[in-house]
Amino acid sequence: MALGKSAAVVIGSFPLGESDRVVTFFSRQHGKVRGVARAARRIKSKFGGALELLTLGELIFFDTGRSDLVRVDHFDVLRPFDRVREDLERLGQAAWMAECVGRLTAERDPNVAVYGLLLRGLKSLEAGVPPQRVAVVFGVRLVDALGHRLRVDACVGCGRRDAFGGAPLTMDVEAGGLVCAACASAVPGLLRLQSGSVAALRRLRGQAWDEAVGTQLGGAEGELRQLLDRQVALLIGQPTRTSRFVREMERFSGERG
Amino acid sequence: MAHYPEPVARLIEALQRLPGIGPKTAQRLTFFLLKRPAEEVRELSEALVAVKDRIVYCQTCFNVTDEDPCRICRDPGRDARLICVVEEPNDLLAMERTGEFRGRYHVLLGALSPLDGIGPEDLKVRELLARLDAGAGTAEVILATNPNVEGEATALYLAKLLRPLGVKVTRIARGLPVGGDLEYADQVTLSKALEGRREIS
Ligand SMILES: [Zn+2]
Ligand SMILES: [Zn+2]
Repeated sequence: MALGKSAAVVIGSFPLGESDRVVTFFSRQHGKVRGVARAARRIKSKFGGALELLTLGELIFFDTGRSDLVRVDHFDVLRPFDRVREDLERLGQAAWMAECVGRLTAERDPNVAVYGLLLRGLKSLEAGVPPQRVAVVFGVRLVDALGHRLRVDACVGCGRRDAFGGAPLTMDVEAGGLVCAACASAVPGLLRLQSGSVAALRRLRGQAWDEAVGTQLGGAEGELRQLLDRQVALLIGQPTRTSRFVREMERFSGERG
Repeated sequence: MAHYPEPVARLIEALQRLPGIGPKTAQRLTFFLLKRPAEEVRELSEALVAVKDRIVYCQTCFNVTDEDPCRICRDPGRDARLICVVEEPNDLLAMERTGEFRGRYHVLLGALSPLDGIGPEDLKVRELLARLDAGAGTAEVILATNPNVEGEATALYLAKLLRPLGVKVTRIARGLPVGGDLEYADQVTLSKALEGRREIS
């Protein structure tokens, strides 16, 4: 039994019983933590609006040791990130970032790099950087930080380094990187990427955060977002729910003019 | 759960599918029911079947009802030009308890939720647009979704969608505390929120 304390971001929650809430946090000190916030759905809850998605706060929890779930004692808002939630496109991409962190990390496995990325992503969204660009810059760094970097220097099938002549290139996410035309022909349904997108991916890996979010990605943005979606889906065994949300919002809005 | 007799295991299994009920609660409920008189348990099971047999969604507003259209949609005394949009039938009931609202409703049967993958297609949004398109002369749509991320996102989305139709769109006042469920709001708070609604631009 122990008391824990850390700065943390709310990355998910669902209602429990009459008026409680199970909240998932990504914390600086403890990584992903899930806990029960008692009476959080009551109108006069002591938590107020603090447990809303994407809020950064100071989390104080009590670990009973009897369950995976801790008891959330306090969560005092440090930064609400409400401007991220007030725009549907920002909210959609931010929720995707939160879902990726939640699904790709294990509980109680501290990772300060991932925590830092999440905060930088939210700050950039709040500052008005185009949401999809933030998601791409974030996603590329997240998979790297978690050890899932895709190889783009040589064919992951045969190892040849000089095999990427003309565009477009072929990415075999499952095999872990680019494949040459000969190796690609053996596997159906691989993702095609313009050489510009692969160049953008290389560049993003080497850039500082502010430089990366400050640079337009052009056509590479959509392709890299798609690549990240595929890679995350493969890692968690199914497509993210937030991607479905983002897609449906786009489709429905388009349809209505 | 192989060590329970089959009917017991089956009931535990069925109860576990209810929201907010885990394996332990399901076991507790099952053994509670086993101790009750047969008559009382029969009454419960009949009530469960009756709610499914006799209750439908009103095909106009999607409130739960035993006759379609529902009483509110058929009531000529209610102002058809005012539509209050809520997430769930419970929110409609909370609104009705205030006794302040004399218009009609539209129940979305949910809210937009990125993390649950719930988009507009999963809600009764199309049906709301159809109601407005049908040209019943709607003067105002009041968005009374919950004061949380999902409810605000839904209100934001609907406002954007409805504005081009030339209808006045308002949001109930922000006086409601963030994070709480509308259905838990007391009548005074909810009346004030309704009264203080503001046009969304
Ligand atoms: Zn090869
Ligand atoms: Zn009705």
